Amino acid sequence: MSSPVPARAMRHPNPRNRRAAAVVGVGHTDWVRDWARCRNGERPNDSYGYALEALRNALADAKIGRDEVDGLIAGPTTAYERLGELSGINPRWGDQADAVLAVAQAVMAIEAGYAEVVALVYGNDQRSVGTQYGGPEAMGGNAFLSYVYHSPWGFTSQGALYALTLQSYKHARGFTEAEMGEVSVAQRGWSALNPNAIMRKRITLEDYLASHFVCEPLHLFDYCLINDGGVALIIAEAERAKRMTDRPVFIEGVGRFDLNRGATSLEPRIDDFYLPAQQSAAAQSYAVSGLGPKDMDILQVYDSFSVHVPLALEGYGYCAVGEAGKFLRESRIGPGGRLPLNTSGGHLSETYMQGWAHQIECVRQLRGECGERQVAGARHAHYTSDVAGKCFSVIYGR
Amino acid sequence: MNATEAKTPRPVMGLYDKPMWESINAKAMRLQRCRTCRTWLYPPGPACPRCLSCELEWAPVSGRGRVVSWVVFHRQYLPAYPPPYNAISVRLEEGPCMISNLEGAMPDEESIGRAVRLVYATMPDGMVLPRFVLDGT
Repeated sequence: MSSPVPARAMRHPNPRNRRAAAVVGVGHTDWVRDWARCRNGERPNDSYGYALEALRNALADAKIGRDEVDGLIAGPTTAYERLGELSGINPRWGDQADAVLAVAQAVMAIEAGYAEVVALVYGNDQRSVGTQYGGPEAMGGNAFLSYVYHSPWGFTSQGALYALTLQSYKHARGFTEAEMGEVSVAQRGWSALNPNAIMRKRITLEDYLASHFVCEPLHLFDYCLINDGGVALIIAEAERAKRMTDRPVFIEGVGRFDLNRGATSLEPRIDDFYLPAQQSAAAQSYAVSGLGPKDMDILQVYDSFSVHVPLALEGYGYCAVGEAGKFLRESRIGPGGRLPLNTSGGHLSETYMQGWAHQIECVRQLRGECGERQVAGARHAHYTSDVAGKCFSVIYGR
Repeated sequence: MNATEAKTPRPVMGLYDKPMWESINAKAMRLQRCRTCRTWLYPPGPACPRCLSCELEWAPVSGRGRVVSWVVFHRQYLPAYPPPYNAISVRLEEGPCMISNLEGAMPDEESIGRAVRLVYATMPDGMVLPRFVLDGT
């Protein structure tokens, strides 16, 4: 087969959407409180309840009323219409999307003139209702055939998909178990400084190596949490954003590229490690923003499993291909390290909000509101995700 | 429930999967091959992803392949699969990759790249599964 990324995808696009839109408000639920309540057998809210609590907080943060909102994007875990009904919002632009696509859609709608102030709203009661990410009824099986197709062989669970990825990655690159452990150790270093994080107890590399396998080669600490919560963002057209707040956080550039060929048999992961798609998404966002990896003060990586991190370091250009292990050992991604990465603790240690909380962490770091975990003077924050080979790159700047 | 009584998870059975599972039950696995560009398909589908031709034929596979990756499950997800058990990704000689299990040995650090050969395993509930053994065993 031909190269997975056609040459035209690597051409520099017309940098139209640079600083076309800015985040003017962020909000979330108290997932530490709700974690304790869920562990106690309670159901504090349903997905809509979490979404609405986050929306109220985001509107308050933006200091605007609901009537200023003319665009609404619902996360994937709530029905768009019901969320709109409960929000009381009749928008002139509406959509449903996962976290990173929601940000991209908001920028696109604003740039095209279909909306000026867009609310992005997510709520998920996955812990309290026992959402299954494995087994014959695995969440997402209707959208991703790979999540369910291999169950006759006992091959199930999101962890298994990424365990298979890590095993071939280790073989291809000489990546080690201890290098993998650097990720969860570093992210606990961050979450220990984050009062909003659910898992705050520091761990050592020895703790990591001694922890049990769930799906080998993934250890317990390589897995994300499953918890309840909600997140909301308000994104506004850039000029209006400047009038709304003195601390807008601009979207400097967005890039996307997908690998679909061979997806059911997981070839984009276990053969390509998503690399060509990450490189293409990165090139698009770097061209639009005029920025590159050296300009980034913070990197936030979608981390349902720790293995996303080395793939992203190579794919988005933070180190040479094959050198993520060395980078993790020597450069350090935890507090005080050279590249602050997943500064909230991420999905592994703060909260599993399916990429949504990473967006608000970018915003708060750039607004300088992060207390003990604040990266001093941060100007640019980079968010990357590569869920099932749908690779995104979003650059935030102040 | 113990493992011998447990039902093997049923395959996804779309319109194009059925002939493949019938061939597996007959212990002679067939996959679709494009009549136009000779590309092999897995999983089965309505058209060739390489040239979009709908002219597909069912043909027997050689049963030869190589291990691309592997995992070992240490947690129980399915009644038919008490841990520990393995899963492997195999690149078939014909081109496609498939997820299966390695029989006769647990995979290890030396497994990736090893040649494997297709065998047919009959599960306790009677379901036949295509699996693999290391070549030469």
